[in-house]
Amino acid sequence: MNIIVCIKQVPDPEGPQDCFAINPETVRVEPRGIPPVLSLFDENALEAALRIKDAHGEEVNITVVSVGRRVSNAVLQKALAVGADDLVKVEGEAFESGSLDSFATASALAATIKQIDAYDLILAGRQAADWNAGQVGIFLAGLLGLPAVTLARKVEIQGKHAVVERLHPNGYETVRAPLPAVVVATNEVGEMRYPTMIQRREAKKKPVKAWGASDIGFESPPQNRLVLKRLFSPEMRQGQCQLADGETPADAGRNLARRLRDDGIL
Amino acid sequence: MNHDNSVLTFVELGPDKSILAISLECITAARRLADAFGGAVHGLILGNSVGEAAEELAHYGLDRVYVQDHRLLETYHPETTCSALLKASETLKPKAILLGETLISIDLAPRAAFALDTGLITDCVGFEIYESDIHFIKPVYSSNVMAAYALTTKPYLVTIRSRALDPAERQDDAGAEVIVLDLKLDESAREMEVIERVFEEEEGPKLTSSNIIVSGGRGMGGPEGFAQLAELASLLNASVGASRPPVDLGWAPPKAQVGQTGEKVGPSVYIAVGISGATQHIAGMSASRTIVAINKDPRANIFKIADYGVVGNHEEVVPAFHEAIKSMLRQGGRG
Ligand SMILES: Cc1cc2nc3c(=O)[nH]c(=O)nc-3n(C[C@H](O)[C@H](O)[C@H](O)COP(=O)(O)OP(=O)(O)OC[C@H]3O[C@@H](n4cnc5c(N)ncnc54)[C@H](O)[C@@H]3O)c2cc1C
Ligand SMILES: Nc1ncnc2c1ncn2[C@@H]1O[C@H](COP(=O)(O)O)[C@@H](O)[C@H]1O
Repeated sequence: MNIIVCIKQVPDPEGPQDCFAINPETVRVEPRGIPPVLSLFDENALEAALRIKDAHGEEVNITVVSVGRRVSNAVLQKALAVGADDLVKVEGEAFESGSLDSFATASALAATIKQIDAYDLILAGRQAADWNAGQVGIFLAGLLGLPAVTLARKVEIQGKHAVVERLHPNGYETVRAPLPAVVVATNEVGEMRYPTMIQRREAKKKPVKAWGASDIGFESPPQNRLVLKRLFSPEMRQGQCQLADGETPADAGRNLARRLRDDGIL
Repeated sequence: MNHDNSVLTFVELGPDKSILAISLECITAARRLADAFGGAVHGLILGNSVGEAAEELAHYGLDRVYVQDHRLLETYHPETTCSALLKASETLKPKAILLGETLISIDLAPRAAFALDTGLITDCVGFEIYESDIHFIKPVYSSNVMAAYALTTKPYLVTIRSRALDPAERQDDAGAEVIVLDLKLDESAREMEVIERVFEEEEGPKLTSSNIIVSGGRGMGGPEGFAQLAELASLLNASVGASRPPVDLGWAPPKAQVGQTGEKVGPSVYIAVGISGATQHIAGMSASRTIVAINKDPRANIFKIADYGVVGNHEEVVPAFHEAIKSMLRQGGRG
């Protein structure tokens, strides 16, 4: 069984806010001093794939697909280290993340996946940590003519079906979709496992394919439906934090309670 | 497709078939857009036995309420509900379709955008209206940057973040006209089969309507930490929130998550314990009137936005805090 996991490389969203420098001329974010990482929900998607592999053993092959202007082997190696089997990266100027909207990105991924050809299940994350669009998974399914199951917190394979627990406003529901299918993972899947030192070393030997736009027939991307006009900094709340202290942490806790009482907060 | 200048608002109902607050906020957004277009605002309810809800919706300043009552729409089904929305769009030809950013629209809006061959802005928090153009504002780079987008295709599809706008107010008027749709729905195109639904009863006060929230992060260390927070919450008649990691790790239920991809809350008091204060968490709770932080790291970002705090290990601070509050409540009642 072949599983494809779509993983985007993004600047670490947890970096300090002032590292996300805005270039108003190019209308781009130029991250300063923050490392690229695997987008957080894509780690959850990979974890879901790894659990299927845990359950079904060696017959499962996991291919990671990543599209971008430049895709760093060092960053993507983390995905190989935790248990993905191979990597297909597609690089080129055309794939600059600010230049493509979700539909164009999904078109590039669909073209890549058609080249890979053999797949039973495609996993994506709920939203990429750079533009936070939350659309590519469903568009990809649409372009490939596959069913899409979103907000997945648990994914199992039963025969020729994916059986997925998905979030619902009042709890969750279990749905069954015929394979091949696209499943979009949310964080409730659970955090991605950590690689061991040996796994990290082994990962460097795993196969990596490096493709360009022409390899996937993507010389002219579809026209964007979203046009980015302007970027600006959000307003941030500023507090004047009054710290309660005491001889011991317990004292400080009691003092906090008293202060909140005195100020009419609690 | 020809579009008129109307804005269609997709209205969601809760389990008791009451109109969700987020949908009333959407109506406010729809009115602003429709005023710019010079068009009408319509509401759309897709459900089963929702006649009463439609009559109620008619009192929120809409021009018309459209309702589709069908047994297949009893609960959301990704394919069925989407096909109903597409048929409604085909019939009504709105210039824009607005939905609240919810677990339903996260699935529904991209499906509809794909089928309608149109662009979608998710998690929109506001608009900039120019003479010939509208820019839709949304947080990007995980709440570190704001972006303004234009859409090049119609209908415009937009999901609105909760608490970004004030809800539309109920008016004691005759109410807008309610039009019953007959969209001819069936299950023939369904590929996805729902095997089981597990709906959980809510315990205690609801996160989004609580006056006080006690929220825990990765620093709680495990479910035991959350059990302590639950006790504190019950003492304060508060509800329990969480940052993302405890939800990932199963220490707290999905509904407890506060932040960019969780609930947006604005209680009188938000007590954050063992939460570092990542931008993505703050995105969900910065509207709180008073923020109290308990964290063992004095440099934690949460102290930059907090009003009160203690630097210390929650295992020592929280029990003492709890006992002190308890004896204060015993002495003087609440006030
Ligand atoms: C696209 C995207 C969406 C996201 N959406 C959300 C969201 O909706 N909500 C959300 O919360 N996050 C969200 N995140 C994740 C976010 O980036 C952070 O990873 C997360 O908020 C961190 O949670 P935390 O503060 O609990 O954990 P950490 O950052 O690990 O912080 C733990 C804190 O606990 C303190 N601590 C440790 N032990 C103790 C102790 N014994 N006593 C007291 N304090 C202690 C530490 O000092 C530290 O400050 C999102 C991320 C992305 C990329
Ligand atoms: N350039 C990319 N390369 C690989 N996967 C991507 C890329 N862009 C988006 N994805 C996948 O699509 C999901 C949703 O992205 P988005 O709709 O952009 O928020 C991500 O979580 C990834 O799984």
